[in-house]
Amino acid sequence: MHGQTTDLVIEAHGLVKHYGAITALAGVSCEVRRGEIFGILGPNGAGKTTLVEVLEGLTRPTEGTARVLGVDVTEDPVAVKSRIGVQLQASSYHRYLTLREILELFGSFYPRHADALELLERVHLRERAGARISTLSGGMQQRFSIVAALVNEPELVFFDEPTAGLDPDARLDLWEIVRSVRDSGATVVLTTHYMEEAQALCDRVAFMNAGQIGALDTPAGLIRSLQAPYRVTATSVTPLSEAGVRGLPGADQVEMAVGPDGHIVRLRAPDAPGVTAALTALAAREGVRLVDLAVQPASLEDVFLRVTGRKLNG
Amino acid sequence: MTRILFSSSLKMLTRDRQALFWAIVFPLIFMGVFKLFSGDSSGTTRLIVSVDATSERGRVLVDALGQVGFLNVTLTPGLDEDSARLLVQDDEGDAALVVSPAAPTTPANAVLLMGIRDPIGRQVTSAAIASVVDRVNLSLAKAPVPISMSTRPVEEKTTSFFQFVAPGILGMGLMNFATISLASSLSRYREEGVLRRIRATPLSPSYFFMSVLGAHLVITVVQVAVLTLVAQMLGADLFRDVSGLWAPLIAVCGTIVFLNLGVVVAGRVRGRGAVEGAANAITLPMMFLSGSFFPVSALPEAMQRVVQVLPLTHMLNALRGVTIEGESILKQWPSLLVMLGWTVVSFVVARIAFRLEDA
Repeated sequence: MHGQTTDLVIEAHGLVKHYGAITALAGVSCEVRRGEIFGILGPNGAGKTTLVEVLEGLTRPTEGTARVLGVDVTEDPVAVKSRIGVQLQASSYHRYLTLREILELFGSFYPRHADALELLERVHLRERAGARISTLSGGMQQRFSIVAALVNEPELVFFDEPTAGLDPDARLDLWEIVRSVRDSGATVVLTTHYMEEAQALCDRVAFMNAGQIGALDTPAGLIRSLQAPYRVTATSVTPLSEAGVRGLPGADQVEMAVGPDGHIVRLRAPDAPGVTAALTALAAREGVRLVDLAVQPASLEDVFLRVTGRKLNG
Repeated sequence: MTRILFSSSLKMLTRDRQALFWAIVFPLIFMGVFKLFSGDSSGTTRLIVSVDATSERGRVLVDALGQVGFLNVTLTPGLDEDSARLLVQDDEGDAALVVSPAAPTTPANAVLLMGIRDPIGRQVTSAAIASVVDRVNLSLAKAPVPISMSTRPVEEKTTSFFQFVAPGILGMGLMNFATISLASSLSRYREEGVLRRIRATPLSPSYFFMSVLGAHLVITVVQVAVLTLVAQMLGADLFRDVSGLWAPLIAVCGTIVFLNLGVVVAGRVRGRGAVEGAANAITLPMMFLSGSFFPVSALPEAMQRVVQVLPLTHMLNALRGVTIEGESILKQWPSLLVMLGWTVVSFVVARIAFRLEDA
């Protein structure tokens, strides 16, 4: 196969998709490497779903090309579909069939397929083989929908918000399963709403906004790219001078407020040790007693804010 | 692959209790109800006759009454009017004819006591008995009969209401299941994302579609078998002529039109509730107008012309033609032609209306 000659499982170039007057994709290019977990983050309507549908061979792009596993998706979508796995929402399975029957049915669509009971074993659902979807808990349904994407032993798997609406325990459970899929040799493309999920799971993350990729790197690389990645919060009984605070080295986005605990200063800075030293010195100079001083590293949430100019959750 | 796909589709249908209810149980309930109301079992009138059977007059009268098919005559001599009335009130008989004793040469008085409540039954019975009495009078008077009339049915075989209604219920059951159940399954597959999930596999969506249609056709064959068998057991007498054997084929072919209509509804209407409503809006008027329960000829004339366009009308025409009318299949060509037209047109419209790519 052509796919073996390169380490890229997805090569997308200039993808554009119009739905009537709406532009869902406005020129997306990206590459996904073999064996990584690639996250796609973005608010609703950013074009995540359309991008994934184009790569899965479900939607034809208006412009641009996409090679998946070395095959042009628009030229031979069936060849692509037989080698990828797709997880949609849990409810997208037949309500009158048992778990085992659904896996056998989907397996029958592929030339090569895994044993239904072994698949269920992988996500600890073997003892529920004879049950129907509706009798499963939310976490079980998600686990099932993940394993249903693995019936054809795919080289590349797409997960669509696999942990949406799950409690923290079930989410950690699912993260383990996603990692085990990657560790077994498959490449994973994952869309998500959750920053901490992208940070914990993904080797690389693409931020989408308004049909374009706004940033693409490893989570650590994205955070490093922020100009003032540290969040500093200082609380004092009497106020610091505003001029003094603004004069701190590299201080950015300064906010001053009065709260129940005292006077609060919030700012962002590029260098944590430098700014804490300068802030303590300023307080001593002005005779202000600091009650609390906290420094937090930036997160993907901050990257998201920079890319989209708005908050993702809420 | 096709085998698993097809058996899965069939499993999904047979595990859907609601679908099976509409397919089999609902038409069976209708058959039972119409069997009860058609009154085939109480088609005889029990007549108590009190007359001196040893007299010539009595003998001739009892003989003549015995020849009337629907009369079940019990001879109880020696009753007077009051005691006969008591017998009818106690439901020992539906009516009583009391002929008071008289000498052979003098006229005897006869009183008919009617226990039948429904006006038609009452009229039919009294007219029949009156005409028997008239005939007996004439024959006893040895007078020449000026006009001798006998009645022959126009149709070779008489058809009861139940026999008329049985093919109608079969057609109704097939139509309801095909249109409503298929429309609702397809819209469910779309709404729950099953179609989308299938499109993400290398399976051609038309294979999936054909398996759903095929499963519905299998249930249709089961419906035809069960409903025909039960109708036959209840006395529908569907196979009076060899051409009656064409009925199952007409039924299955006609169902293809209704399956197509189900596809059209699923393709054009969004939302499961709306789909089921729209499917009912198509089948419900047809069920009543196309002659499932009442002959189309009972409708106002303008309405009859409209009804002649509907597919169920022609399916029922052809079904009744080869079953209760005992006609040949060839004689059904106008109805079969209309059904063929509906099959072609509804298939084309279904192809346009329902696009698997929309999922």
